[in-house]
Amino acid sequence: MTNKTDNNQSPIDIIRQNQRLEERVNFIKAIFLDIFFVFYSILLLQRAIYYKFILDLRDIPFSWEGIIILFVISVFIGASWTFTKTSLSCKLFGIAKDNKVTKWSVEISGWFLFNITFIAGWIITKLSIVDLFSSEGIKGAERLFGALFKPEFGIFDDALFAMIETIYIALLATLISIPITLFISFFTARNLMKGNKTTFIIYYVLRLILNFVRSIEPLIWAIIFSVWVGIGPFAGMIALLVHTIASNAKLYSEAIESIEQGPVEAISATGANKIQVVWYAVVPQIILPFLSFTIYRWDINVRMATIIGLVGGGGIGTMLMQYQGLAMWHEVGLIVLMIAIVVWVMDYISAKIREAIY
Amino acid sequence: MILKVKNLHKIYKNGMHALKGLNIEVQKGEFLVIIGLSGSGKSTLLRCINRLIEPTAGTVEFMGKDITHVKGEELRKVKAQIGMIFQHFNLINRHSVLKNVISGKLGQLKTLNSILGNFTDDIYEEAYRNLEIVGIKEKAKERADTLSGGEQQRVAIARSLMQNPKLLLADEPVASLDPATSNSVMKFFEKVNKEFGTTVICNLHFLSLVRKYATRVIALKSGEIIYEGEPSEIDEKWFKTIYGEEAEEVEIR
Repeated sequence: MTNKTDNNQSPIDIIRQNQRLEERVNFIKAIFLDIFFVFYSILLLQRAIYYKFILDLRDIPFSWEGIIILFVISVFIGASWTFTKTSLSCKLFGIAKDNKVTKWSVEISGWFLFNITFIAGWIITKLSIVDLFSSEGIKGAERLFGALFKPEFGIFDDALFAMIETIYIALLATLISIPITLFISFFTARNLMKGNKTTFIIYYVLRLILNFVRSIEPLIWAIIFSVWVGIGPFAGMIALLVHTIASNAKLYSEAIESIEQGPVEAISATGANKIQVVWYAVVPQIILPFLSFTIYRWDINVRMATIIGLVGGGGIGTMLMQYQGLAMWHEVGLIVLMIAIVVWVMDYISAKIREAIY
Repeated sequence: MILKVKNLHKIYKNGMHALKGLNIEVQKGEFLVIIGLSGSGKSTLLRCINRLIEPTAGTVEFMGKDITHVKGEELRKVKAQIGMIFQHFNLINRHSVLKNVISGKLGQLKTLNSILGNFTDDIYEEAYRNLEIVGIKEKAKERADTLSGGEQQRVAIARSLMQNPKLLLADEPVASLDPATSNSVMKFFEKVNKEFGTTVICNLHFLSLVRKYATRVIALKSGEIIYEGEPSEIDEKWFKTIYGEEAEEVEIR
C-alpha cells in the first residue's frame, strides 16, 4: 500500500519511486533465477549426460569441491547473462531489452532447458522398453492377474470386518477435523489477515506449519503415529486426521479467499467490526464449498485409509499387506475387489451428495 | 457543511493515479450527482470518503471532523453514519431480505448479540418500517437472491436506512437495472433525500436522470473535476467535453 500521507512529496514522485523499486527487486530476482538456470543446466550436462550417458560410468564421481566450482562458474555466467538484460529470467520478470538478441537467447535457452530435463529424466528413471516387454516378465504378470481374478471367498467375513474398520477410520478422521479446520482456516485466509502486521505474521506462520504438515504424506504420519500410539486403527485415524486438517485448511481458506468482495465491502461500510463482517459477509458464502470439500475429503480418506493400513494403520490395508507377504494372491484378489467396490460406491455417493447441496 | 474534501489524491499500488487533488464541499440536504466516464475516479472518490479505501494524500472532513486518519472503533462510528449503495447491490444472497436489512444495524450492535441473532423487537420494527418505505415489506421472509434487480437495490436502500445515515453514498446504483426500474429506484433516493433530509452523493451515467434528481452536478475526467454546477447547465458542448467527442446522449424515459 502506498499509504504515504507526506504532503511534500508529489504523487508523481511516489509513482516513479515505486516503479524504480519494483524494477530493482525484479532485477535481483532475475539474477537468482538465471544463476539457477545455468547451474541446473551445467549440473545435468556434467552428471547425467556426460558421466552417465556418454562415459557410461557405474559409480559417478562425487565431490563437494567439484559442485562448488560448478556453482561459482554458474554464478558468473548467470549474473553476466542477467546484466546483458537478454536472459530468460529478464524476459520472465519483464525487464528484458526488446530486441532480436533477447528473442534468440530466450528461445534457445528455453528449448535447451526443456530438452536436457527430458533426456536427464529418461536416464535417471532408467526407462527401458526392453524390460517392459520381456516375455518372462509378462508371464509373471499373467500368473498374478490370473490369481487376482479368481478371488478366494473363504476370508470374506474377516475382510468385511476390516473394511468396516477402514470406513470408520476415515469417517472419524473427517468428523474430528471439521471444527479444527474451520477454526484454523479463517486465520490462513489472506484476504482476512492481510490487514495489519500482527495478523499477517499469524497468517504466515500458520501457513508455513500447514504446508509442512501437508507435505508429509499420510503414509509417513501413519508410521510416526504407529510408533507413538501403537500399531492399529487409532494410529491410522490420527494420521489421517492430521493430514486432513492440513489439506482442508488450505482448501477452506482458498474458498474464503475467493468469495465475492461486494458483500464484505457492504457490511464493513455499515460500520461493522471484523468479527461481524466475517459472520455476515464471509460465512454465508463459504458454507456450501466447505460442506462439499468435507464430503469429498471423506471419500479421499477412505481410499487413503486402505493405504495407511499397509504400514500398520489398521483396517483392510493391514490385512492386504499380510496376505501379500504370504503371496496368497487369491485372498489378495478378494481384498482388492472389495476395496474397489467400496471406493467406487463412496465416490458415487459423495458425488451425489455434493451435487445435491449445490 | 456536512462534507469537505480537500486536495484528495489516490494512487493505487499499480501506479494508477485515480484522484488528482479533488476539492469538494457538500452542504446538508444536497443531492449531489457525480458523472464521468468509467475509470474517471467516481467510485474511488466515494470509497475514499467512507474510507473503504485509504486516500494517498489530502483530507476528508465529515460533519466538521477530520476523518482521514481515524482508526478502529472511531472509524466504525464514522462508517455507521454513512450509508452506501452499490451497483451490484452486494446483498447476502443466502440470507432473508429481513436479515439483510437488519445487517445495516451491525455497526450499532454488540458483537455477540449480532452473531447469535439476538435482535430486539425495536430492531425488527425498524427493519419492517424501512422495508415499507421502499415498498417491499411483503418480501421480508424471502431469500435475497430470489428478488429482481430493482427489488434487491431497494433492499440495499432499506439496509442503509437502518444506519439512520447522515450521508448516503450511491455508487452507480442503477447501472445494472433497466431504464424503468432505474427511475423507480432513483425515486426512493429522492424520497430519502426530501423526507429525511439525508444528504445524497450519487454516481450516475444517464443525464436524463441527472437532470431529474440532482441539485448539483460534478463531472470528473481522469481524476480531476472538469465541471461543477447546475444539472440544467450541461449543454451539448459540456457533454462532449465530459464524455468525449464520439459520445452521443442516449435518452431514457
